[in-house]
Amino acid sequence: MIKIAVYGKGGIGKSTTVSNIAAALADRGLRVMQIGCDPKADSTNSLHGQAAIPTILDLIRQKGDAFSLKDMTVKGYKGVVCVEAGGPAPGMGCAGRGIIAALEKLKEKGAYDIYKPDIVMYDVLGDVVCGGFSMPMRKGYADAVFIITSGENMAIHAAANIAMALENFKDRGYARLAGIILNSRNVKHEEEKVLELASDIHSAVIGSLSRSTVVQEAEELHKTVIEAYPASSMAEEYRILAAAIYKEAQKRR
Amino acid sequence: MSMKQTIARVSSYSADVFGACSALFELGGMIVIHDPSGCNSTYATHDEPRWYDRDSLFFISGLTEMDAVMGNDNKLVHDIVSAAQDLSPRFIAVLQSPIPYMIGTDLEAVAKLVQKKTEIMTVALPTNSMHSYVKGASMAFAMLAAHMVENPVGKTLPPFTPKRWSCSWQAEYTADGSLVKDMPSAAARQSLGVNILGVTPLDFSFNGSDQSMVQVLRERGFRVVSTWAMGSSLENIAQASLADVNLVVSYAGLEAARILQHRFSIPYVIGVPFGSVMAAQVASDLKEAAAEKMNMISYRNRRVDESGTVIIGESVYSASLAWAIAENGGPAARVFCPLDTETALLVPEDRIGMSEGELEKLLFSYNVIIADPLYHPICPTTARFVPLPHEAFSGRLFRKEIPNLIKNAETFAKNING
Repeated sequence: MIKIAVYGKGGIGKSTTVSNIAAALADRGLRVMQIGCDPKADSTNSLHGQAAIPTILDLIRQKGDAFSLKDMTVKGYKGVVCVEAGGPAPGMGCAGRGIIAALEKLKEKGAYDIYKPDIVMYDVLGDVVCGGFSMPMRKGYADAVFIITSGENMAIHAAANIAMALENFKDRGYARLAGIILNSRNVKHEEEKVLELASDIHSAVIGSLSRSTVVQEAEELHKTVIEAYPASSMAEEYRILAAAIYKEAQKRR
Repeated sequence: MSMKQTIARVSSYSADVFGACSALFELGGMIVIHDPSGCNSTYATHDEPRWYDRDSLFFISGLTEMDAVMGNDNKLVHDIVSAAQDLSPRFIAVLQSPIPYMIGTDLEAVAKLVQKKTEIMTVALPTNSMHSYVKGASMAFAMLAAHMVENPVGKTLPPFTPKRWSCSWQAEYTADGSLVKDMPSAAARQSLGVNILGVTPLDFSFNGSDQSMVQVLRERGFRVVSTWAMGSSLENIAQASLADVNLVVSYAGLEAARILQHRFSIPYVIGVPFGSVMAAQVASDLKEAAAEKMNMISYRNRRVDESGTVIIGESVYSASLAWAIAENGGPAARVFCPLDTETALLVPEDRIGMSEGELEKLLFSYNVIIADPLYHPICPTTARFVPLPHEAFSGRLFRKEIPNLIKNAETFAKNING
């Protein structure tokens, strides 16, 4: 089983990218599980096509422990197992502790042993703002972390912070940085800036995505590009990226 | 919290941190509780009778508000490493309280960093003070079974050479009375070796019950390899794989027994040898379990009658006591277990995990109630109350009145009969 976590600045396109990678890998016949680690709980929307699915924390809130693994998951495109950690009511509680509780509950209910996914992908909220959001990179969870960034300064700054957190955690047996993904916003000198970032944090750009209206058009259909426009050049870019991520993650198992 | 969980008139059981501390107290490890400083004595004195005359290596990290906000794990690691370098503990166990639990401190990572810097085996125990002492003691014993017990042949613990600091608990004797450095003789090895699992003062107090259990087994021809964890050194525990069978005397010892069975194919018997009849049954079961490689419960044929007698307490202790009382001519009591356990350890007429309100309603129909004195306020005045203090429930309040029922079960049963 390969386990990866994807981090990056909020709004940079993590969920869209991860969902398209999930769909591309599912097309190749792999068993895929995607776990949204964000209180917004919208990571997997384009895979299952619904406005919302029950989150793990919703279930805990409503039923205590009286629910099954099946209640926590929804099968999406080509059988991708979709999970949303969920979170507390806005402005209350502790979202980080919520992520920990949700991931522990998923493990306790046997998600990895029962579904036996070939690849698990944790789609994590924005930056590593507290202990809870480092959970997906801890021992026993992801083996490899990928950071998505554009050439925008704030995205690069966030990426550098995430890389620094990973560096600080290197003696803890946490996941290691496996590569940078450039999600283009067509800003000036974008590729050079991201390559410079990769060099600074001793990593590499393992794939890049063009800016394309096809992505938004697919989202309006509540589908991934892979599903909605499989013949598009954007779908091909996602397939190439999925192959690169899979290859890099395999090296770090 | 629902009102069902409210405790208003009785006490509450010691929490998991206490259970883990109690289980590891005598083994020479450094126990670090990641928690704000202040009333540290709650961890180690109120429920720990050994505190007063034995040294120990318990530390509180002194977590501050800013540590919690900033996640100063490095300070915690530094302090543990510094203390460990001064004190040379046998191992290090890091426990957490509710605050680090809530902020998601990665104790396993902290343990890994400490072990790397000190080269002393370091483990994290995922306590959070939201569970009972049974769970904490269980995870501590499970840790010993998984990490401290060595293969019968192969590597052994490095010899212990005290530096400038040493403790009274660094025992020079083994559970069967021989010197630590002496391996059992060939003749001694011919008798069946037994580990007694799940012994802490929280369940058995500090009144000689642990030694009585050892004596009971020795008198019946067994060799006690180790007692987890009173009166045994870490070396005894490390040699536990030399045993032929394990005796589980509390639910806290059961997970360790399962791990030892998985690792070394050692079967186990569940039951406390309360009095001569129960001791004979336990001895017979230990021999059969060792011969047949099967697990047994010594009070397996336990029945309840309509005498309206109930025991409130830990499951293995209470069920064993109920069996022993009935075998000594007393009533066949039900057991109400408010603590962690499994239904297979009790009979269908027993009850597990009630709230104070539910318990009070249930007790209304009983005639004889055997329980810690702090349960008295919710017992009906029409019932006869037989006090049986339980350290994990009333701490040191009634410590002097806690009987050694290994030796005195018959007297206790007579008292029940009135």
